[in-house]
Amino acid sequence: MLNKLTAIIRKDTALRFEGRSELLFFLILPLIFTFLIGGGLPAAGGGGDNRLLVPVADEDGSPRSAALLAALADGDVVRPEAMSRAEAEALLADEDAAAALIIPAGFGAALSADGLAAGQEAAVTLLVSPTSNVAPAIEGEVNRAVSALARPLLVARNATEGVAAVRPFADETARAAFFAAALAAAEAEAAPPARVVTEVAAGGNAYDQRAQASAGQLITWVFIPLLGASGLFVYERLMGTLRRLLTTPTRKSTFLLGAIGSQYLAALAQMAILVLFGVLVMRVPWGRDPVALIVVLATFGLAGVALGTALGTFVKTEGQASNLSIMLGMAMALLGGAWWPMELFPAGLQQIVRVLPTTWAMSALTDITMRGQGVADILPEAGVLLAFAAAFFLVGLWRFRYE
Amino acid sequence: MTPPILTAKDLRKKFGDFEAVKGISFSVLRGEIFSLLGPNGAGKTTTINMLSCLLPPTSGTAEIAGHAIPGDTLAVRRAIGVVPQEIALYDSLSARQNLEFWGRLYDMRGQELTQRIDEVLDQVGLADRAKDKVKTFSGGMKRRINIAAGLLHKPQLLFMDEPTVGIDPQSRRRILDMVRELRDGGMTVLYTTHYMEEAEELSDRVGIIDQGRLIALGTQAELTRVVGEQETLRLHLAEEAGVALAGVNGTAGAPATMSADGSVALFSGLPGVLRASAVDHQIVVNVADAGAALPAVVGRANTAGLHVRSVDIEQPNLEAVFLHLTGRGLRD
Ligand SMILES: Nc1ncnc2c1ncn2[C@@H]1O[C@H](COP(=O)(O)OP(=O)(O)OP(=O)(O)O)[C@@H](O)[C@H]1O
Ligand SMILES: [Mg+2]
Repeated sequence: MLNKLTAIIRKDTALRFEGRSELLFFLILPLIFTFLIGGGLPAAGGGGDNRLLVPVADEDGSPRSAALLAALADGDVVRPEAMSRAEAEALLADEDAAAALIIPAGFGAALSADGLAAGQEAAVTLLVSPTSNVAPAIEGEVNRAVSALARPLLVARNATEGVAAVRPFADETARAAFFAAALAAAEAEAAPPARVVTEVAAGGNAYDQRAQASAGQLITWVFIPLLGASGLFVYERLMGTLRRLLTTPTRKSTFLLGAIGSQYLAALAQMAILVLFGVLVMRVPWGRDPVALIVVLATFGLAGVALGTALGTFVKTEGQASNLSIMLGMAMALLGGAWWPMELFPAGLQQIVRVLPTTWAMSALTDITMRGQGVADILPEAGVLLAFAAAFFLVGLWRFRYE
Repeated sequence: MTPPILTAKDLRKKFGDFEAVKGISFSVLRGEIFSLLGPNGAGKTTTINMLSCLLPPTSGTAEIAGHAIPGDTLAVRRAIGVVPQEIALYDSLSARQNLEFWGRLYDMRGQELTQRIDEVLDQVGLADRAKDKVKTFSGGMKRRINIAAGLLHKPQLLFMDEPTVGIDPQSRRRILDMVRELRDGGMTVLYTTHYMEEAEELSDRVGIIDQGRLIALGTQAELTRVVGEQETLRLHLAEEAGVALAGVNGTAGAPATMSADGSVALFSGLPGVLRASAVDHQIVVNVADAGAALPAVVGRANTAGLHVRSVDIEQPNLEAVFLHLTGRGLRD
């Protein structure tokens, strides 16, 4: 039986990749789409910068504002980029950035010894996008940087004032010298400054375009060929080979297992390649929980191949099979959130699309990559995918005819 | 007597209300070529399909190499090889890839399979095209690979369903020679055809099948005896026989008419003429002695104004048997 199974799988694979065009759908298109939709290569240096872009308009231009910028750039959350206020606002308006930071003129002066002494207030403005769900993370990070910058200054000012209250300084020079010394001490004390570690990776809900593209394109391009498998049944019927198969000492179950198995194996191989591409080129964190990933991909593949088998019992020509698989595959991928995050869908639609296997697969894959969830978290999705597979296989078996 | 390798008992097949096979019984003896001869739609393929367990019989049973139909499906299939009427190959795979696949489905593998594929490719004369895709083959070459795929596992009994339909004379010659070689090598062959010449040339025994019934069965000598010691004069006409007859004048005793079943009255009354019937562009006249009857038959045709292009004299053949039994030609 193993000999026959491998024969069927080899035959199907040879048939499938006989024309170059299959490679286009199997590998080339998915890689191109993943690359383009994911926004191309990750920025050079440091192996990819996934931090949130925050345009910064530094209208102050003082050492203090520069220090604030540096402190922000030093963190893990945001990637500050200096530009004019107009440019920053434009980026925000276009939703290319979730927030823009304005450092007004006078920021540095307010934080100078005199400014501090005079009780001036140093303020920055953070403009946030109303639709963004990552703005709070940016706000927290800016707060952290501002207070890290201000705290030593406050300590130094308070120390200087405390000393002056007990014994006034001889002159301004002496006062400045003391302030500088106190500041240096405070800064030394503050290093490393106490900071809120905002782990986007583990706790956050940060949206990651590359992860979305990698998962979404994987679902789309694995699903379409699996549905296209329906065409193989049509081909076997038209070529008369299905009848001939049944004059050989081969059980129906062996034939079906081989036909389905070859599609499934090809899908698994394709998924492995696309995941590797995601990890190596797009720097998508596919590998956070390999077991969870394998469970999701394995169940998703089963649901797809089962649907292809069921379809194969309905279509009459190879042309029908290929058109139907592309249309249906695309529609299910789009509605399943593979091309745009589900969060952008109207609430009602979000409920409706739960009848699609692609929705569940996409949700599970983004749980793994973006939200860092594990096996236990994706089990419900995997269960639903298995149920889809069982239902589609039943339809296929019930309708399967050799004629 | 040689034991039968196949015995069919009252096989019937209904498609809805239509009964395509109406109770067929026959045996095929080990080592013989047995032909099922019959016109289009006679039920040849349906019979083969039941015997290869592709279609369940509506009723009746069969036994092949000791295995029962219905029942021992897998054992029956292991004993038989099938060359289907319609070419059943993967046209985008090479000849060798096809044979490898079909061989594995018969549990062959490795060195044994490779050697056997080489052997079979040689046998069908396509060793040099092994690596080419089947879709680049001519009709005759496809037919030959179609046969090769049924031979790989050296079946005890080979079903060949009209393996020469629609191909050039050379390929046909080659296939007919091959069938005889297979038989000489010990294989039993059940061959179906609607070509009388093929059945005559190949068969040890023939079953004549018409409208789902086996209407005659035996060696050619046995079958032709059915028609008696008669011979045949075949008059070839320029036009379709019915049209030609309509344009000529008969006599009172022998009108130039043709009845619904094709029998022709023009030659009645001539000494030695048993019957005459129209088939396509021919009038077939059954006579007791061809040499004696020829002048009178040709004379009557000339008198009537029938334009005869040529005349063949034939010894009793299966066509005559079919005509005798059904009143129709094999290819109407
Ligand atoms: N699946 C089917 N459904 C309905 N009728 C069928 C089916 N298969 C065959 N028939 C009918 O049964 C009759 C016998 O068909 P079959 O194919 O056995 O003839 P055949 O002798 O092989 O003819 P040919 O020489 O044309 O191949 C035909 O009238 C055909 O139309
Ligand atoms: Mg037939």
